Amino acid sequence: MTRVLGAIVAVVLLMAHDVSDHDGWLIVATVGWTAFSLAAYGASVRLQRSPLAWLVDMAVVLELVYLSTDWRSPFYIFALTALILPATELPFRRAVGWGIMFTGGYLVVAIATQRLDSGTFERAIRLEIITTHLMIPIVIVLALGYAADLLRALRDERRRAERLAVQAERQRIAWELHDSAKQRVHAAHLVLSALDSRVNGANREIVDHALTELRAATADMDTSVAELRAPLDGRPVDLLLRERARELEVASSAAIVVRGGLPDLPPLVTTHAYRIAAEALTNAVRHADAERIEVELSADREHATIVVRDDGSGLPDEARPGSHGLPSMRNRAETIGAELEMTRGPGGRGTVVTLKVPLTHATEAAT
Amino acid sequence: MIRILLVDDHPALRAGLSAVLRAEPGLVPLGTAASEEELWPALHRTKPDVVVLDYHLPPADGLQLCRRIKRSIPAPGVLLYSAYADAQLVIPARLAGADGIVNKGAPANELYDAIRTVARGDRIMPPLSRELLDSAGERLDSEDLPILGMALDGTPEKEIARTLGIAADELTQRLDRMIARLKVEVPVPREA
Repeated sequence: MTRVLGAIVAVVLLMAHDVSDHDGWLIVATVGWTAFSLAAYGASVRLQRSPLAWLVDMAVVLELVYLSTDWRSPFYIFALTALILPATELPFRRAVGWGIMFTGGYLVVAIATQRLDSGTFERAIRLEIITTHLMIPIVIVLALGYAADLLRALRDERRRAERLAVQAERQRIAWELHDSAKQRVHAAHLVLSALDSRVNGANREIVDHALTELRAATADMDTSVAELRAPLDGRPVDLLLRERARELEVASSAAIVVRGGLPDLPPLVTTHAYRIAAEALTNAVRHADAERIEVELSADREHATIVVRDDGSGLPDEARPGSHGLPSMRNRAETIGAELEMTRGPGGRGTVVTLKVPLTHATEAAT
Repeated sequence: MIRILLVDDHPALRAGLSAVLRAEPGLVPLGTAASEEELWPALHRTKPDVVVLDYHLPPADGLQLCRRIKRSIPAPGVLLYSAYADAQLVIPARLAGADGIVNKGAPANELYDAIRTVARGDRIMPPLSRELLDSAGERLDSEDLPILGMALDGTPEKEIARTLGIAADELTQRLDRMIARLKVEVPVPREA
């Protein structure tokens, strides 16, 4: 890093010339501050972006310049390194603001350490040197800020292009699924259903079974198509569930209440948690004849919990024919390492679906 | 005997439909068409009682095709065959003059019943809900609402034009505009 270079320059210059009567202490302070600031910035990304940290850093390096008792200081390069983070992290205009601030600070230090000199020639040279000293920070910030801005724009553009490509690909797959595969399944279902009334006994059972499977296949494809066309786009689970609840409320007579909230979850976990909860919600509306459905979202340090509770007819003893909902919910729960529990409500009425998502594990699974 | 023309762009469904309809006594599939270009000659050649028409027939628009089929003389019954949200299709389908809607996932006997119903001159459509009517009303100009009311009531176009005191051409244009606003968009992938 440039800071190390700045520190080396400062130390070498300090050793080569007698700058002040406390050179030893200045070397210790320089090396110390270099090590400390690098360690602190290395440890925390948030610190790297904190204006307060930049300000402290800038104050310390300017103080070193001041302590060296001359503004033509061995610490000049070292001091300049305090500008690198603001110049690369901030948008261009604000970065330039920091550059001007640094120049102002340096001017104050220069005035404070100025020694009176006589002679016009010497004064002219000094004027030129101080101007150079004051302009360099601005130039550095301009160059770094501009480059950082370009890099940011480039990165955003690439992300956008990637997102668009993924989106287009998903659209295409959804389209093929819908336009080709599903039409064929429809055709197979239609042909087979024509046979249904013409066969009897055991054969009839076989045909019915095949018809059920074909209908389930269509339903599966519809789900996949929906997922491909309307990806959740990084929206949080609670928001998505509230939207889904509003949609379902319009289409049914049940009253749906969504309470509480969840912390931000990684995208993969969000998708599965949402689809599980949405399926539970849909089941309550479609199959349980519920009048009131409650969705409770909560989280502690270790788990995010979603509870879907209804007052409907409760879980059937046997799965509905062609129902793929429950196995798919279990599969999803397994994928994100979550616990899924389905029980009857208090007094044997209704159904309670509880999904417990481990928070630490969830983060690992997504990364 | 009910004479039927099948219009669908997917070969598997055309073949399946033909086979299924041939197997049912009283129904005679006379031909199939895969696109708008094939539809008109087939229509003139076969003069069917009922056209089973795919709702989504790119690049043509199923509803506009339906309107044009219904304007031919003698007009066959049109049964829209759709893989999409049927309930939302009801209003634009009625405006386009369709006589029925059947989902592509329906079993064969439902399709037979629907074809027979349409051949008798009756309608077979999913029920029209309050919400659908409200949302359709919001998407249309208020001056078009009387047309919507009369069309849903089954009033013939000539009579609607006479009641509102407008020319038949103007009514046609306004109906086209209404259908365009209400039709169910089928998501088509962009050219990659």
